[in-house]
Amino acid sequence: MSYLTNMTRLLLFIIMLLLFSCQTVQPWQRGLLARPEMQLEPDRLQAKLHSQVYFSNEASSGDSEVAGAGCGCN
Amino acid sequence: MAQAAKPSPWMALTSAALTLPAFSASVPDQVEIGISTTAYRESDQNPQSVLVGSVQRYDININQFYLITPIGRDWGLALDLSHESMSGASPWGTVSVVGANTQLVMSGATIEEARNELSLGITRYFDTASLGFSLTRSEENDYNATAMAVNGEWDFNNRQSTLAAGLSYSTDSIEPSDALSFGRTLKQARRSASFSLAWTQVLNRASVLQSGFSVTQHNGYLSDPYKLRDIRPRQRLETAINFRYRRFMHRSDSSLHLDYRYYHDDFGIGSHTLRSAWYQNLTDQFQLIPSVRYYSQNQADFYVGGDDYGLPETVFQSSDYRLSGFGAVTFGLQGRFSQRDWSVSVNFERYLSAAGYGLNASRAEHPGLLRFSLLSFGFDVKL
Amino acid sequence: MGCPCELRLFAASATIAQHAAATCISEAARFEQKYSRYLDSSVTSVINRSAGVAATPIDPETSGLLQYAGVCYEQSHGLFDITSGVLRQVWHKDRQTLPRQAELEEITRLVGWDKIHLTDSEVFLPEPGMEIDFGGVVKEYAADAIAMRVKSSGISSALVSLGGDIVTFGAQRAGAAWPIGIVHPIQKESAIATIYLKDMALATSGGYERYFELQGKRYSHLINPHTGWPVDSLLSVSVSAQQAVVAGSISSIALLYDRQQAIDWLDNSGCSYFAIDQDLSCYGNLGG
Repeated sequence: MSYLTNMTRLLLFIIMLLLFSCQTVQPWQRGLLARPEMQLEPDRLQAKLHSQVYFSNEASSGDSEVAGAGCGCN
Repeated sequence: MAQAAKPSPWMALTSAALTLPAFSASVPDQVEIGISTTAYRESDQNPQSVLVGSVQRYDININQFYLITPIGRDWGLALDLSHESMSGASPWGTVSVVGANTQLVMSGATIEEARNELSLGITRYFDTASLGFSLTRSEENDYNATAMAVNGEWDFNNRQSTLAAGLSYSTDSIEPSDALSFGRTLKQARRSASFSLAWTQVLNRASVLQSGFSVTQHNGYLSDPYKLRDIRPRQRLETAINFRYRRFMHRSDSSLHLDYRYYHDDFGIGSHTLRSAWYQNLTDQFQLIPSVRYYSQNQADFYVGGDDYGLPETVFQSSDYRLSGFGAVTFGLQGRFSQRDWSVSVNFERYLSAAGYGLNASRAEHPGLLRFSLLSFGFDVKL
Repeated sequence: MGCPCELRLFAASATIAQHAAATCISEAARFEQKYSRYLDSSVTSVINRSAGVAATPIDPETSGLLQYAGVCYEQSHGLFDITSGVLRQVWHKDRQTLPRQAELEEITRLVGWDKIHLTDSEVFLPEPGMEIDFGGVVKEYAADAIAMRVKSSGISSALVSLGGDIVTFGAQRAGAAWPIGIVHPIQKESAIATIYLKDMALATSGGYERYFELQGKRYSHLINPHTGWPVDSLLSVSVSAQQAVVAGSISSIALLYDRQQAIDWLDNSGCSYFAIDQDLSCYGNLGG
């Protein structure tokens, strides 16, 4: 399963890159990140809908971030 | 237009204050409710691609509801409900004749189904961490699934980094309708277990990046019982890595979302998904969000363009379009109107797929590749 | 907290109300025990005793408050400085004469937020004799924390008042806002203005209750840490914001400026305020 090792290496590399490139954000600068449109998932229902739609129409199932049971559609 | 001005003392102090424990935003302090209704319409097949059966595909209406509420000081509850009603036709198989394009064998446009899903989750919030548990149940006339999940989140670096881990398990059972009349399998089951890890990092005051990894194992009956000839392995291992980037742009008062996902499984399918959305604030209350999604997958190892009844049943084979090599593009546009406690949104999306859109050299295109449009209306309110 | 505290709330039953009241009392006591500089066992005393010696480990709440105090220091261009408490040793009520410059220079050596070493988990005061005082932030923060606790005990409407810093949420009867009277500086029994609060906090800082007289002249108890001298401040400032801690910082910082600069600070702060100067003139766009 060499692709698994390669992916793990890629992920580790990216994490290292991130940790060394981040600026410390002062508390008073954090307001922007709290805005609704800056959230990872601003719209809960849309995220679930997309997850369901693409799960039924494409081969790659969504990330298990959005918890949901299966359906007879794939 | 917002200028990139120095924040007022109020803004600076409030942002700082909100990171203090008493204002710990992770515990929901308001009841939040949302509803949404969506019309999903798949485009009709080109009649020349259909050998027998309906040229229609699926029409699905989806209604969703959610409720999030705090319970006491440290707990939160989330309830999600969904009802889908679908009607139409779907491909049963393909026929390949030498010298001609592959054609579809479609079912009649008599499929009428409804699916209901209920999900309940509770979360315990700690100072810089949270732990949640959820149960989900999905039911339709031929398919039932039950899933449970556990997830945890930990904040580090003064809340600039978050590690999230999740574990889930689901068990599904399928009892195809009209099984006897069509010679379908009578009752089958499958199980799935999944593990995911995600790291969210605040890069600077205006941007955030999440990196994630997940692995899922399926066991049991994985074939499509409604297809004329579909024999898939009884296990499947899937892995995926994904990145989500969010960046706020002061000068234009907008946010950029960029998501990338790479997926690979042991059916031999690899896929790339790239999605981008632009959240543009037009006024204090109105926001316009165009989005585009690009998807590409290569075909499964056992994919066949035309069903081959000569192959023994011990050999894996499927002509399902979802296992073929293709690419897809989705264009979306959403408008959102917000007030202090509530907002309404309208969202339209158009999805187009073709073998030629894929990154791999385009093989013969599956005649059943999909095109659909969807239109959603949503409303959410904080009480 | 060493000041009058009040809680008003609307609850569905007496039991709920009593439970909420008990929560408030215990939370107020917790802050008192944790941050009072008069208690040897408080976090404040532990940190101050270790000045010049070693770093003190601190929990997220303390490090959060210190970081917040750092933001106040930045926003006020160094005027709001929680290390300036040592100046009390020079400017105190029992003094008979004005301090000499040498005396001031020696004491201002121990003042300076930028000298402190602060991380997420520990704090270190490098010079022996340096002191930090949470008084400027913790009282208002306690009001916010208590209000949050009351809110999550299922109470939908309440007013929390800790020595003049007030947090409200929900409405009074019939959806009306909570009316707050600003005490008249001279006629202490009456209100000079009434302010209506709905889901907002109000913090009031005033030099008129704490001042001292020296050689016939009245000096504010607030000292400018740059010069070491008392400030010619406004008499009283009330600021309204969603968090009492934010309102409190803006009003405290206003009092560290001389009169006209204070008004400018308040006008540009982004908050509504009500201010009274030494001549009893009123300024601001809050209340009537």
